[in-house]
Amino acid sequence: MPDLSSPDHLPNRRPDGRPPHPSWLPRQRAGVSPQMIGRYPDYDVLSTVGTWDEATRKVVLARLEPPGPMRFFTVGQVPTLRAFCDTALAQDTDPRVPVPEMIDAKLADGKLDGYQYADMPDDRETWRLVLAGLDHTAAAGYRVARFSACEVQRREAIVGELAKGRLVGGPWERLNVTRSWSLVMRMVLAAFYSHPWAWNEIGFGGPAYPRGFMRRGTIGVREPFETPGATDEDPVRVVEEGQL
Amino acid sequence: MGTFWRGVLKGSIGPVANDSRYLLDVHSRDLPGQKTMRRYAETDEVDLVIVGAGAGGSVLAQRLARAGWRIVVLEAGPFWHPDSDWVSDEAGSHELYWTQKRIIGGADPIELGKNNSGRGVGGSMVHYAGYTPRFHPSDFATFTRDGVGADWPIGYQDVLAHYERVEAELPVAGQDWPWGYPHRYPFSPHPVSAPAEKLMHGARALGIEMRVGPVGIVNGTFGNRPHCIYRGYCLQGCKVNAKASPYVTHLPDALAHGVEVRANCMALRVELDESSGLASGVCYRVEGEHTDRMQRARFVAVAGYSIETPRLLLASTSRRFPHGLCNDHDLVGRYIMVQGAGQTAGRWPEELRMYKAPPPEVSSEQFYETDTSRAFARGFSIQTVSPLPIGWAEHVLADGHWGRALREYMRDYNHWGTIGVLNELLPYPENRVTLASETDPYGQPVARMDYTLSDNDKANMAYSTRVITDILHAADAQDVLTIQRFAHLIGGARMGSSPEVSVVDANQRAWAVPNLFLSDGSVCPTQGSANPALTIMALASRLAERMASGAAMDDDPALRAGCTRAGVARLNGARPRVESRR
Repeated sequence: MPDLSSPDHLPNRRPDGRPPHPSWLPRQRAGVSPQMIGRYPDYDVLSTVGTWDEATRKVVLARLEPPGPMRFFTVGQVPTLRAFCDTALAQDTDPRVPVPEMIDAKLADGKLDGYQYADMPDDRETWRLVLAGLDHTAAAGYRVARFSACEVQRREAIVGELAKGRLVGGPWERLNVTRSWSLVMRMVLAAFYSHPWAWNEIGFGGPAYPRGFMRRGTIGVREPFETPGATDEDPVRVVEEGQL
Repeated sequence: MGTFWRGVLKGSIGPVANDSRYLLDVHSRDLPGQKTMRRYAETDEVDLVIVGAGAGGSVLAQRLARAGWRIVVLEAGPFWHPDSDWVSDEAGSHELYWTQKRIIGGADPIELGKNNSGRGVGGSMVHYAGYTPRFHPSDFATFTRDGVGADWPIGYQDVLAHYERVEAELPVAGQDWPWGYPHRYPFSPHPVSAPAEKLMHGARALGIEMRVGPVGIVNGTFGNRPHCIYRGYCLQGCKVNAKASPYVTHLPDALAHGVEVRANCMALRVELDESSGLASGVCYRVEGEHTDRMQRARFVAVAGYSIETPRLLLASTSRRFPHGLCNDHDLVGRYIMVQGAGQTAGRWPEELRMYKAPPPEVSSEQFYETDTSRAFARGFSIQTVSPLPIGWAEHVLADGHWGRALREYMRDYNHWGTIGVLNELLPYPENRVTLASETDPYGQPVARMDYTLSDNDKANMAYSTRVITDILHAADAQDVLTIQRFAHLIGGARMGSSPEVSVVDANQRAWAVPNLFLSDGSVCPTQGSANPALTIMALASRLAERMASGAAMDDDPALRAGCTRAGVARLNGARPRVESRR
């Protein structure tokens, strides 16, 4: 049985440096989490909505509205965008946090981060070039029409090269590849981890005004609404090994 | 008052000549007095127009309004209504940051935006973490002491009284402080959260002393400001009014004394009267309007911080100053600094839930000063931090994880604690703000910031990362993730002893324009490894005192040049003893 007090599930601590298959995680029982997996199966941050202030409630609950429609990316770019976001976040099944639509809305509204590298184009142009670059690399490396036509392992291989800043040719020549990776990922991560479903997955307490937190001093003490982390236990083994 | 009495009377003595804490409303977070605020006509020549309603501008306005000055503050961003504008949410706080375009270059470009710049009434202190350490006396003379950086034209003793005054106004909570110039704090330290407890334990095992605080967060009540509720969203704007920012500490009192804060007004030029050589006012644009307006004033103070202050000066060209106001010696925008702010996170068997507490908890200045055995000049401080999920995701990404590996680390969030450093990176002329060819919607050239690290900077950063990683291992962390990053801005229009080496004199008065002052962090020649907010406020407080008395307008060359060395000598002979208290 996996033990949460041990770090054996963390990639840096594993011999192959890779994470375990997510099947070791329990299914989400309360509320929704991305792919319905998580470490806090009985915790739903949305059960605490009643304690949030009005302004925060409005902003956070808007993320649960039906996503889209796409306003910034073209019909031709959307499949590549979806494939990239799914790969970069390992969102392989529904329910998915609608990261592509969240990014599209941000770019369409021009809500940028406030700085642009001297050797890079505008963030909006960078996004278009990165998507074109992924299609270019997919076509050059695997002879498929576009990135989204690749199978999962090949997509991961391409994204892995992007993360290392090693993609070349075509649109990549117009970008600083390392910087474009950090730029697109910053936006991908900000979208994904602003979503309450992702908070359920990681057991984050969420908005806390005006309630605040009282139990923070002694290690291991929880607020009444927080639940402890759990794993997916095989009941037969638990009984056989006398852990019950 | 002696340090003994200050220790005994902790929390019970309020600041003098600042009623902000009583002016605040218990039931509403709006800035009291906004609706009844005094309004000046554009035809009025006011005594002072200030550009920027942040740490420097707000303190200057509050002090001088009390001295009877008629003041208009121009602020590019909005007037906040925290109950409805601010949210308990990371992604929803985008509006708090300066997100208008800036270009970043150099060998080590510095990310701006949410990382280090604010916009709106209250400035970036609206979303700073809350750490309010003082500089050390050595910071004022790093060139003499360590052969690097620069000497200030003033010494620690010149700022000391203002440090104490601002600490009482914020008010600062923390343990008795043994480093630099030892001192006490007006409020007792906050209780320590679970991850900070782990980190303190690790530090102690290595013989590194860590103390609780210093943070500008109310511990107890303070006038109508309530106790902190430990919700952990300091960086998203404090909806509680427990964390100090000019919005709650100085602007209520300023408005009550006749200051007008004109929000959504972007300053475009400091106007120069070419016949007298004096600044005649500030030309600005109200958001949504298509023509410029002009506020005339007897004195002009620019407090736009390290990027916008140089940008405004560089854009204010005239026949007398073809390369930008006060830029006769090509110094405006140079010597801009940031601090290395690498962070290392550790994993423990227990759930620590780092989101429950203000990010600033405990810190150490044990490595602040130069230690020749480390083979680099100057040092760093150590501070605990606690990123929320988006910040934590950026941390995990920086360690090289994405996809399934990133999700695995993210799900482990509640088991982690984070410790960071602030490296004193040195000032260099090549690190500078210039105007880019691109323009903003007002037609104003956008700022370009170039930044390159030196070998001393890199050695400092590498050494400090090893120290905090050692702390994690000494605390029995099971896994470690590291991110290299930068924080804070300072410098860009420094003060000094002569016009050939500095933009402003020892009174923060422009060498080239007799009625122009700079009242923000851009005047600092060095930065120490302390968070800059408290020092920016203390310098503005000192400037206000000297403007009110007229001392700041004195044309005596010796006074304008200041006297660094005497100040340092005075200090070395007079260090108070503070007993350590746990």
